[in-house]
Amino acid sequence: MDGRPSEPDGFRDFVEARSNSLLRSGWLLTGDWPSAEDLVQTALAAAWPRWATLTRQDAPEFYVRKIMVNTFLRWRQRRWTGEIATARLPELQAYGDAFAQIDARQALLAALDRLPARQRAVVVLRYFADQTEAQTAEAMGCSVGAVKAHASKALARLRDAPGLAELMTGGVAS
Amino acid sequence: MNTEERQLAEMLHRVTPEPPRGVTVEDIAFRLANEAGSRAPRGGHREPRPRRRPARGSRGPSRRGRGGAGRGWAPVLAAASVVVVAGASAGIATALSSHHSPAGSSQDGMPTSSASVSSPPASTTPTSPSTSNGATWPPEQVADGMWGAELINRQTFTQASLVAGNGSLYAFSPGFLDRISPVTGNGLAHVPYNSPIAGFPNRPVLTGNTVWVLSSYAGSSVVLAGYNGSTLASAGTISVPVSGQVASAPEGVLTSGSDGYLYVAAGSAIAVVNPQTRQVIRQIPVSGTVSSVAVAPGGSKVYAGTGAFQLTAYDPATGARLGSSAVSGIGSFGGNLVATPGGVWGTMGIGMSEWVWFAPNGNLSRVVRVSQGPGAGLDSVPSYSGGVVWIGGSQELACVNPATGQKMVAAVIPTDNGIGEYFGNITVAGGRTYALFQNQAAQQSGVATLTPPGGCSG
Repeated sequence: MDGRPSEPDGFRDFVEARSNSLLRSGWLLTGDWPSAEDLVQTALAAAWPRWATLTRQDAPEFYVRKIMVNTFLRWRQRRWTGEIATARLPELQAYGDAFAQIDARQALLAALDRLPARQRAVVVLRYFADQTEAQTAEAMGCSVGAVKAHASKALARLRDAPGLAELMTGGVAS
Repeated sequence: MNTEERQLAEMLHRVTPEPPRGVTVEDIAFRLANEAGSRAPRGGHREPRPRRRPARGSRGPSRRGRGGAGRGWAPVLAAASVVVVAGASAGIATALSSHHSPAGSSQDGMPTSSASVSSPPASTTPTSPSTSNGATWPPEQVADGMWGAELINRQTFTQASLVAGNGSLYAFSPGFLDRISPVTGNGLAHVPYNSPIAGFPNRPVLTGNTVWVLSSYAGSSVVLAGYNGSTLASAGTISVPVSGQVASAPEGVLTSGSDGYLYVAAGSAIAVVNPQTRQVIRQIPVSGTVSSVAVAPGGSKVYAGTGAFQLTAYDPATGARLGSSAVSGIGSFGGNLVATPGGVWGTMGIGMSEWVWFAPNGNLSRVVRVSQGPGAGLDSVPSYSGGVVWIGGSQELACVNPATGQKMVAAVIPTDNGIGEYFGNITVAGGRTYALFQNQAAQQSGVATLTPPGGCSG
């Protein structure tokens, strides 16, 4: 026996169906794929032993995302004492440029890097994972009012991020 | 949601890329099994593994966080990569150095600019070399490694710093310039050295039996430091005059040509230096601040990368501008230029999305993307060695036709515990092929030898 716990029912189906979406959320949170993979694996490993309970509550993805966000916040808390502003930002690409996709991603990550960790987490949960304010508040262990405040401040910062307004109003197809 | 929020949500879904690979149940099971075995002493919390490379200008102490000294395997998300080199990358330095000795003095009628000779190097503390760092390693097969990968060295070196020449490998380890045996992988000599471009050092450049490195590179100060290729004893310094200010984001600013001269990006000019006389024999004015420089293999052209992004070719003998091309809207960064008979190669983009491009005949209007995705950037700065362009990273290791940009053979780089290993900075020296290797999951790194398939023969 290799010491691995037995696989819970439905876990494989969930991973196969949702890992891409979780990884994309992880990428938005961390800014790179290796860290995103690490984050998703950490969350799924934490969810594994509690899988039966989570599925009974009929919201396993919500809890996996909750673990992801809190793990991300813990990592950031341990590693960062403050936000470091971007030194240089990528220039905006022309629409339809052959290299526009990658530049759009760079602009997006640069913009997200301007956000404190909790604002970034709210952006990912609310606007990428499509969670409600109440769900986001529960996932982050804060009030709905705090979620609204984080979202408002995040939007204000993103509004000023170079290139992001253009991406939001048109931009480049993925 | 209001309109702005809907636009943000739509943009996030549209721009966020698909992951290069998914997470599997096996990944999780393996992780759980590993954590069960190591949980007790650590309290069960697993820190994220270190990023090999932070996005430039996005996070981390600076865009140059990669490969900084002394980070070792500490799981610091902020710290960039300590990559751990190995092999040697030829790239510009290896491929272009060494054919001829430079002329003993200025030979083309161009006035020599002010240059000074002194020692010791400015940014290096005590220059007394050590004849050996004492480290030896038995060869070890890389588990599941492609192309017969075998570790011959397990030292930590700075990413993208390895070159080969004079029967040796040279690289930066934290706080040192090292000379390594390409046969045994053993450290042969080292001398204290700290790059002035923290975390993103220019590779050492060899001319004759001298190893040249950047000693100072900031503002209006560019100083080169030379070391004896055998003993690493100081061979003096060269102060290079700068036109204006040097680039704030230098990516490959020191190289050599087949004429034996050193070529240095020196603000709005390329300085051509005779390393024997320590004289700056020519300054080629460039429109814009040069962030990267490369010399064509035959020495007929020197390329300057400027801005975001323009590539201009000059005649190194006369300084005449031969042509220029640009790519618009490509982002702010471009560099790590490598010139081959077919054109010019370089990197573009930031962080893990950095990618490698090829411009046939140095014409950016015909630029093609050679690699993309994670690990396709600095982690896999193209190297031109053994008649082949090599591009590695954490996804794929490929040998590429230096004339056409077409991949000839590519191999998937294995993963360990779901984490991609790293093979990069390939160089061919003495009939052997070397790569930098890193396995973050196993906390293993070093110089690996490879046996590429026949299809990689240039």
